[in-house]
Amino acid sequence: MEGRGDSILNTVERYYKDYGLRARELRNEGRRLTGYVCSFVPLEIITASGCIPFRVRGDIHEPITTGDTLLETIVCPYYRSCFDLSVKQKYDFLSGMVIPHGCDSMVRSFSAWSYSLPFPYFHFVNIPTVCDQSSIEFFSAELNTFKKSLERFVGKSITEEDLAKAIRVHNENRDRVRDLYEFRKTDPPLISGTELTRTLTVGSSLPVDEANGLYDRVSAEIKQRERSPVKKGPRILIDGACLDNVELIKLVEELGGSVVADTICNGARDYFPKTDIGGNPIDALARRYLEKVNCPKTYRANRAGTFEGDIASRFGDTGVYAKEFKVDGSILYLYKYCDPFGFEVPARKAYYKSINVPLLHLEDVYSAGTMGQLRTRIQAFLEMLG
Amino acid sequence: MAEEVKEVKPKKRMTATRAAASIGPMVKEFITSTLQARAEGRQKLAYTFIVCHHEEILRAMDVIPIWTENFAGICGAKRDAERFLQRAESLGLSRSLCTYALCGIGFDQWREELGQMPPDAPWGGQARPDFMISSGQIICDPRSKWYQASQQFMPDVPIYNIDLPYPLFQRDQDHRDVWDYYHKYIVKQLRGLVAFLEEQTGKKMDYDRLRELVDLSDRTWNLIDETYKLRRAVPCPMGTGDAMNTMVPINFMMATEKAYDFFVDLKKELEEKIARGEGEVENERYRLMWGGGLPAWYALNDFNYFNSKGASFPVETTYRMVAPLNEMDIPETRDPIEHLAWRWLGYWTFWYDKAKKRPGSEPDVERLINWIEEYKIDGVVMHEAFSCRSWHVGLIWQLHQLAKIYKPIPIYVMGKDGKREKVYRELPSLILESDIIDITSYSEVDTRNKIDAFIETLESIRANRAA
Repeated sequence: MEGRGDSILNTVERYYKDYGLRARELRNEGRRLTGYVCSFVPLEIITASGCIPFRVRGDIHEPITTGDTLLETIVCPYYRSCFDLSVKQKYDFLSGMVIPHGCDSMVRSFSAWSYSLPFPYFHFVNIPTVCDQSSIEFFSAELNTFKKSLERFVGKSITEEDLAKAIRVHNENRDRVRDLYEFRKTDPPLISGTELTRTLTVGSSLPVDEANGLYDRVSAEIKQRERSPVKKGPRILIDGACLDNVELIKLVEELGGSVVADTICNGARDYFPKTDIGGNPIDALARRYLEKVNCPKTYRANRAGTFEGDIASRFGDTGVYAKEFKVDGSILYLYKYCDPFGFEVPARKAYYKSINVPLLHLEDVYSAGTMGQLRTRIQAFLEMLG
Repeated sequence: MAEEVKEVKPKKRMTATRAAASIGPMVKEFITSTLQARAEGRQKLAYTFIVCHHEEILRAMDVIPIWTENFAGICGAKRDAERFLQRAESLGLSRSLCTYALCGIGFDQWREELGQMPPDAPWGGQARPDFMISSGQIICDPRSKWYQASQQFMPDVPIYNIDLPYPLFQRDQDHRDVWDYYHKYIVKQLRGLVAFLEEQTGKKMDYDRLRELVDLSDRTWNLIDETYKLRRAVPCPMGTGDAMNTMVPINFMMATEKAYDFFVDLKKELEEKIARGEGEVENERYRLMWGGGLPAWYALNDFNYFNSKGASFPVETTYRMVAPLNEMDIPETRDPIEHLAWRWLGYWTFWYDKAKKRPGSEPDVERLINWIEEYKIDGVVMHEAFSCRSWHVGLIWQLHQLAKIYKPIPIYVMGKDGKREKVYRELPSLILESDIIDITSYSEVDTRNKIDAFIETLESIRANRAA
């Protein structure tokens, strides 16, 4: 990544706005890029194959047009936007696409993706819905199938050593993201939520080693800062699914809040859990993606036998982040038509109440057009927090 | 709360068969029997979902299944779902989510709050379960989220969640290369269910009885297939409107003699009708396929409206949750649990081999093509229910793909050189839009205008063909 101007964050902004810029360059150099959606796709296997994982994102400023001729409007608007941009050839530099069983919309639209896009490689990874020993064994077998399918595509075998190396470099990536989150702990935070989400979004469009280099440079620049880019204000946690456009975070920060923590898919949900080192790498990946990625799509049994115990177990990580980042309030930001998250709203509300963190629940449609309506509600919430 | 207001009772749909007409009382009797069982406390009651291939296990353990989707459908058909949907919304649940689940959660929350059934609950209401069996599949997210949400209001009721995946169709993969580990996993999940039920009921599984029930279900599957194939007759003796009734024994009564006997009677009735040349409609002009989507339960009269235009529905993809076992390429086994797992995989991969053979095809599209030919179909009708992604996402694409790869209607056009040329065009299709039980999404006038326009299209194709 070539910088321009004196700040690495300016470079980040440029690559954020022209998403896929570096990927296109890499494609022209003869590299294979494999697109993916959702935090359930084991990136380590893609990296180990020699392909570059590239997170397909949507665009809240781009009206969904071609996509709606092929896919129902009852699909979650974030995913519809990803599909729409893809069928409009925004990601024509990709060589393939991996879609996991992240939700019904992903499963039911797999054929629409695979028949509508001209990529030579498509693969669906089935993710178990439960979390126990038999599901880990099943998932390991499913990941081996994915590995073999990639091996056929790239024409070389993926060795245990390749996988171990990829696991190491992706864990390093997560360590660096963790370091960036550390800058959020000061009050006001040294890095704004907008800057952090932009950086991570750009990182997910780069080869993992380049992303690591980018995060190092961002860290080094933030360390030099003497002043926070945002004013001191209520410290906000954003709870929800994938938030790959920064407008909501920017809005909160414009209105005087500081976004200091999150549980989002392109944030803590994805970057905080690491893969265990040693042992069989595929088994370790199965454990990481099934046990540690805390997605509502995975059913986690109520072992406590009480509702209070159940929500403490299911949403406990949110409480940990709220404490660690000294959060004053949380915004549960969900997309319309999202069944996995949507059915958890009453339980999540109860959980926030139990940890005394005020909550604002917003349902949105992944469009820049709704930001005006959200402004009023967020402003009132921030005023209430004081 | 506003939800106390009940909606206007709909007019009853006219059925073509005696068998379909017998379903209403049968469901009512079933609901009543669950309430009685609850009061007596002799048998355990389980909330659960259809299409999980676990009915045999439940019945072998004398557990009474309460089909929560069925109850939500009843609320919808009686136009009495709105008050439960509103109650769910008041808890923070979005109306965009599965409305079956919203209706069920709203009902549960209300019943638990009152400590008794909500006022005027449809057919006496839905009994409180002893436990809930949810299911994570690759067809429906709400199946593993619904009971988890309901448990907030009845935390003493445990959940067992079974995972039932199947290999998704992928052009570069033979499902047989992976299904051994799918089978192994499903067997473990089903054995886990047995262990859970043994713990909850204090009884041991009787595997001989289970084997008998699995055998009964298998025989019922084949009988249903034979019965439904009779609908290929011209005129068609039974349409999709009736099949939305006869789905009850398929989906809610499997592994019972009653379900088997029901289809013995239906088969006989259809054979008699065929012998008399009696169709669903008096003068059958168009044969349509219900090609996808759950029905709008409050608007089943729309099938009568189609009938009034001379349109019959000899086949539907919805709720035909069986396939002929003798045509399934699944291994033989004496172990009933292993057989259930194979049957599950056999059902979901039934069209895979055929789909592979046709360029551009896919299992759902392949099934449409096969049935269009077998049932002599003139047009395809689908229903997009806004709240259900499981069955409704992908339908538009299926119609697109169908139009692209399958053009069965020969017509003559004027060619470039002024000569008549024979070309082929695709089958006409219609997409209706509303919901499964949320009546606020439905407009009878708009729906019927769409149907009228569709019938005109079919008529013009007929006229072209005749010319």
